[in-house]
Amino acid sequence: MDPTTVSAATAAAGVAGAAVAATSDAVTAATAAATAAGGAASAVSAASSLPPTGLGLVLAKVSWFINVPGFYIALAFGLTFTILRLVKIFGSGPAPYQLAIYPAEKHPVLAALRDALGMPQVRKRDPVFWAFLVVFHLGLLGIVLGHVDILPEVSIVGEASRDMVGSGVFGLMVTVPVFYFIGRRFRSPVREISTPGDYLLLLLLLFTFLLGDLMSWGNSWTTQGFVMTKADFSRYFDGLLRFRFEDPRAYLHGTHYHFLTLHLLLAEAVLMVLPFTKVMHAFLSIPVNAVRRRIWTKH
Amino acid sequence: MDEALSAALKELFQTKLNGVMRMYLDTCARCGLCIESCHVYASMPESRYTAVGRAEIVRKIFRRYFKLEGKFAPWLGEVLEFDDDTVRRLYDAAYSCTGCRRCMVHCPFGIDTQQIMGIAKALLIGADQEPKLLSMLADMSIAKGETIADSGAGYAEALKNLGPEVLALWPEPSHGPDGVALDPIPYGVKGARVLYVALSGSHSVVNAAAIMNAAGESWTVSSFEAVNFGAFMGDPVRMKKIAARIVNEAKALGVEEVAIVECGTAYRVMRHMVGDLLGEHGFRVVAFVELIARYLREGRIALKPGTIEGSITYHDPCQIGRNGGIYEEPREVIRALTGNFVELTPNRAENWCCGGGGGLIAMGEEDFRMKSSRVKAEQLKASGAAIVTTACENCHSQLADLNRHYELGMKVEFLSALAARALVKP
Repeated sequence: MDPTTVSAATAAAGVAGAAVAATSDAVTAATAAATAAGGAASAVSAASSLPPTGLGLVLAKVSWFINVPGFYIALAFGLTFTILRLVKIFGSGPAPYQLAIYPAEKHPVLAALRDALGMPQVRKRDPVFWAFLVVFHLGLLGIVLGHVDILPEVSIVGEASRDMVGSGVFGLMVTVPVFYFIGRRFRSPVREISTPGDYLLLLLLLFTFLLGDLMSWGNSWTTQGFVMTKADFSRYFDGLLRFRFEDPRAYLHGTHYHFLTLHLLLAEAVLMVLPFTKVMHAFLSIPVNAVRRRIWTKH
Repeated sequence: MDEALSAALKELFQTKLNGVMRMYLDTCARCGLCIESCHVYASMPESRYTAVGRAEIVRKIFRRYFKLEGKFAPWLGEVLEFDDDTVRRLYDAAYSCTGCRRCMVHCPFGIDTQQIMGIAKALLIGADQEPKLLSMLADMSIAKGETIADSGAGYAEALKNLGPEVLALWPEPSHGPDGVALDPIPYGVKGARVLYVALSGSHSVVNAAAIMNAAGESWTVSSFEAVNFGAFMGDPVRMKKIAARIVNEAKALGVEEVAIVECGTAYRVMRHMVGDLLGEHGFRVVAFVELIARYLREGRIALKPGTIEGSITYHDPCQIGRNGGIYEEPREVIRALTGNFVELTPNRAENWCCGGGGGLIAMGEEDFRMKSSRVKAEQLKASGAAIVTTACENCHSQLADLNRHYELGMKVEFLSALAARALVKP
């Protein structure tokens, strides 16, 4: 749906009336009720405003592009290049010879998994850094889970819930460590080995997370409570999942929508730079640790 | 640097980009955990002397020529192009790294900086900027393999001349596979069980000969020296040729085991790399210290406790311990020698490198070796031991230099020498 066609009247009617029909079967009646209620509130707001023109129209189009096709583009780009990178790496074969590190482990595969997932080397040498890394990575898992739960087909937290999974805690679990990581990077001796890309990547993550925090619980800091609920996000995700290309503005209300757009923009940037940055360690840390245990060798 | 050379170096770099290397180059998060792993940084705290600092030189070239970032946003990763300054930085990185791999123990991803330095060394060879002394020594080793038929008689004569020194340590000669008495240092014995590969110095043969003769081992000495200068200079072609001489000799003699003299790099190449480089060879490779420990366990030799006076500490050679897995055998031998054994702190996988590996001893570089190993000298001093023993020629030379430079007042001994002096009938 082209954003320019979303008039105030259709937005009001569309959200309040058509919500139940548009919502997938998996969305419960409670969700539909909540959506309809939210839509009604939006309708009042939308009915009082005129269709966007001029700069507003441009911004609306840009927002729509970021929130809908931009997401597909970033996801396809990130996935394609990540797969290409992995194919290139694993297609290149093992090193001509490979040395392990001793003492040898009885179960090298388990040792590689322990090294990659538990980071015992970090715990031993820098326990504070390790604690932040653990919290950060667990928070990331929680965030992925939270976003998956927004899909109408998934229901970890009840559809009627206004909160996402974790109620914003996972957001804090990634945001606070990133502040620590940035501070650590500015301190010697890590500063001396850092490149501009290291700082920019952390800043990109930081602002993505901060805006995510705003989406997950910051948007409840209003006199009316939540501006956008899990059910609202659920409708947006449902639209994405079904390639409806509709303007999410129809059911994501208030000024927080702009923060959502910015959040999406930065998240898309993360997806797109992922295959070209050290974030690839998300996919490589287990195999590279397997090399240390001499698992991937010629003989 | 002209464009042709730059293009040739890029092509050379490309040949090194196997899957493992791509992971090493792509995965580093520059977390900095390896910074304090390096003995050079611990002694001379400059970021260029960190594992990540060294690897970044190679990574910056990788980003420039093999990543989109190098084309569209080179400033992001501060990429480096091939030029004279980059080559200088590659040299600085490659030949300030001893390849001890202590950083690999501490890296959460297990990135092998030594392998990354292998690229740096290969590029230096490509730019004709490798240490010429190392390439000359490597070429001499290869040439010896080609001319051994001519020089074999002279070598046999030299070995005969060392016989009295061996007999002074253990009065009985060696025995062949059929039980017939042979020279104290048997040479070219077909069907011998063990092929012992020594170094060029007589000390590397005499002590080992006495121990093997005491054990009644059926053995023969190799025509070739164990050290592999090709490994020091990161040249797989030369490394392969040098190792192949020994492999071919072992096959021709039909030995069961190849015992490598106290030389870390030689052991690492023969034990852990030859299979990958030259395929299956049908014999076992052991470090000589493993053989001593085995003889002790089997009761084939005995050592008289108290022969060696004073407290003894042991320096784990990086290529034998951390990179070779031999930690306990040397300790078994020392405990058979003395009740006065003190461990270095840290030890085993965490032990500080002596600072002499990676070709630095062969290249001289005394000023750098002494400055960069201050932390090792402090570690030795803190042990309070009277004797430091080790099982590696390079380590022995470096420890002796440190002992003199830092006036540690210790004795530096080969483990085989201590064992040979304490040999008694079991």
